[in-house]
Amino acid sequence: MRPVVSDGVVRDDWAVKRIVLAFLAGAGVVLGVLAYRVQIDNLPYPLTTQARAMAGVVAAWSFLAAGLIAWLRRPGNRLGPLMVATCFALLARQFRFSHDPLAFTVFFLFGELAWPLVGHVALAYPFGRVTDRLEKAFLAVVYVVALAFPLAVLLTYDGTARLRFLDPLPHESLLLVSGNAGLADALQDIYGVVGYGVLAAAFVLLVVRKLVRATPRARRVLLPLLLAAVAAALWAVLNGILTFAETPPPIMDDLFWWQVISLTALPVALLVGLLRARLARAHVGELVVHLEQSSPEELRDELARALEDPTLEIAFWLPERGAFVDSEGRTFDVPEDGPKRAVTRLDQEGEPLAVLVHDPTLRDEPELVEGVAAAARLALQNARLHAEVSAQLAKVKESRARIVAAADEERRRIERDIHDGAQQRLVALALELRSAQRRLGEEADPELDKLLESAADELQVAVDELRELAHGIHPGVLVQGGLAAALESLASKSPVPVTVDAIQERLPPEVEGTAYFVASEALTNVVKHADATKASIRAARANGTLVIEVEDDGVGGAAARDGSGLSGLADRVEAQGGRLRIESTAGSGTRIVGEIPCVS
Amino acid sequence: MRVVIADDSVLLREGLARVLSEGGFEVVAQAANADELKQAVRRYKPDVAIVDVRMPPTHTDEGARAAVEIRAQQPEVGVLVLSQVIEAAHALQLFSERPEGFGYLLKDRVLEIDDFLEAVRRVGRGGTAIDPEVIGQLVGRRREDDPLEELTKREREVLELMAQGLSNRGICEKLVVSPKTVETHVNSIFGKLGLMPAPDEHRRVLAVLAFLRA
Repeated sequence: MRPVVSDGVVRDDWAVKRIVLAFLAGAGVVLGVLAYRVQIDNLPYPLTTQARAMAGVVAAWSFLAAGLIAWLRRPGNRLGPLMVATCFALLARQFRFSHDPLAFTVFFLFGELAWPLVGHVALAYPFGRVTDRLEKAFLAVVYVVALAFPLAVLLTYDGTARLRFLDPLPHESLLLVSGNAGLADALQDIYGVVGYGVLAAAFVLLVVRKLVRATPRARRVLLPLLLAAVAAALWAVLNGILTFAETPPPIMDDLFWWQVISLTALPVALLVGLLRARLARAHVGELVVHLEQSSPEELRDELARALEDPTLEIAFWLPERGAFVDSEGRTFDVPEDGPKRAVTRLDQEGEPLAVLVHDPTLRDEPELVEGVAAAARLALQNARLHAEVSAQLAKVKESRARIVAAADEERRRIERDIHDGAQQRLVALALELRSAQRRLGEEADPELDKLLESAADELQVAVDELRELAHGIHPGVLVQGGLAAALESLASKSPVPVTVDAIQERLPPEVEGTAYFVASEALTNVVKHADATKASIRAARANGTLVIEVEDDGVGGAAARDGSGLSGLADRVEAQGGRLRIESTAGSGTRIVGEIPCVS
Repeated sequence: MRVVIADDSVLLREGLARVLSEGGFEVVAQAANADELKQAVRRYKPDVAIVDVRMPPTHTDEGARAAVEIRAQQPEVGVLVLSQVIEAAHALQLFSERPEGFGYLLKDRVLEIDDFLEAVRRVGRGGTAIDPEVIGQLVGRRREDDPLEELTKREREVLELMAQGLSNRGICEKLVVSPKTVETHVNSIFGKLGLMPAPDEHRRVLAVLAFLRA
């Protein structure tokens, strides 16, 4: 876990740096103009045109401008310097057209480095570092190839071979060792195939690989690389044609322009992508406004939008529980901070407040995460309280369900004890008295007979009273006959005619108990207040819920007021994790629907 | 007549056995739970099995379920269910459209020894014995346009006794009236309720109960 650090931009050598950057800008402009002149002066029509020469310079300047801005705005990122270097390499490359032996030799040798640099810029995007081993190896190969082949050509070029892209007049290589026109030609062919064909194709594959392997958030950031892939692919095709075609096809011209345009657009796209975090900071302002209007449940979505990370998760620290919970108060397992998920902890007065679990690419934009976190601090505190309350509420709900279940169980137990204990014994005892009475028969002393008679009668009264008592505690028919029988029994005792349609199967006792309670209370209400001529009870199962429904044709207008029978009913059903609906409009009857979860 | 008694209370079981023996029944086996009961019924094929609804282990409806099972598998065995609570709906669940050899009584009825012995005998002979309380609940139930209101008080009594499963002779003895009078009442009741006269007592019980449930 990485605590957020404060935004400490170091500005000591600010002035020095500005001078350096201004110098580079000036040098780039001057070099560009010179490069344009060199190309126009040395390359006769139709090998080049003013437009083409200008386009090459503009592409280089695009790298220069983007590089300087990136350097300024993202001082810690090496992408800016890399882009500036690419600009100079692209411009320097034009000086190989020169017929001055030294200029030709130097810039022919190093001019090709422009291409590895373009690849380097692309693969180092957006953090200025190439970390992937395969990409590193690729770049190493490209740098070597881009140096080795021009060197080999210079060693063998004696002015007789035709130099690709250059004018037909001979140049002078200062590095000539032994002239061999055939070898120089072959080297250029191989370089065209390997350097511009194979390596460009490999680069396209690397970009595709990078995009495929990226997380959704990173993929969006990496999208400008597609431009680089397009430029490279076009460049490969162009060089293939130049190497193998006797006469260039007409499409050649279009391909050239598309290649130049994509190359010119690439640094701009990369710069925009690079500064997105900066742009995203503008979202932070929006976020502040949005947060004022959003509920704690929406906080995550707002932050995810501001951070542009749809995978964002938030968990809150509950000190008394010593654990992180989600916004609903459920325990949240914070993952390890690793390559798959990054974890940023937000503290408040030395205590953890929350953690953001986010896309690892956000690690490189700490100032964005920090900005968002700062903007959302109050909302986060709110959401934490919300989560805390949710957690407590969940606990209370659980304990309420447990208490109700325990009370129910106790009632069932007492009812059972009465029936199977005291009542059984009293009946047995009365039976013995009756037996004794019969055995004495006619000869018995009339007074003794009377005594036995009244004792047995008293016992029977006691049994009846016990039965009533037990029924009041818990209806025995619910235990013996299940919900359907109990509802029938309820209906048969109602002064208002009631029809019953109930499932016959046995359900868990707490479900039967609650459903019976709903029906019984609702029916009591019907009799007391509804002034109904008839009522109906339905009990059916649907999708793991028992739906109990009591409907009458009375005056309506029933509501669950505090302390009323109906509000007690709602409490009871909710304690079971269910829901109670009361549909009652004045004059059109009342319908009470209880939905009780039932998983048996 | 051979009887099996199933009740988890030893005291009550013994008391019942004594009363039944003295009343001329042969108690062939006693059972303390549903499994013992089913075994005993298979083994002794009694005329009547007297079954307590609630028995171990859960004391809910083990006895009732055993009764339903016995009636399905050995229809020749009469089953008299004794219940701690009397609910018409529960009685009718167990009754399941077959009144032959079926009884459902409140447990306390055993204290009216003569009536109880008569009920056991009736069930043993393939008759019916439904607790007066059950019939009372069915008759007392409120209906829209209740045809029972057309019956005289006497006819109502006769209807209830018919529904309990009593034969005409039984009703005569109970009400101390002549067989002729009972027959007149029965015909009048069937007429007023719009029921077809039933050819035998089983179907008469069925018809009357079906009417009362509707």
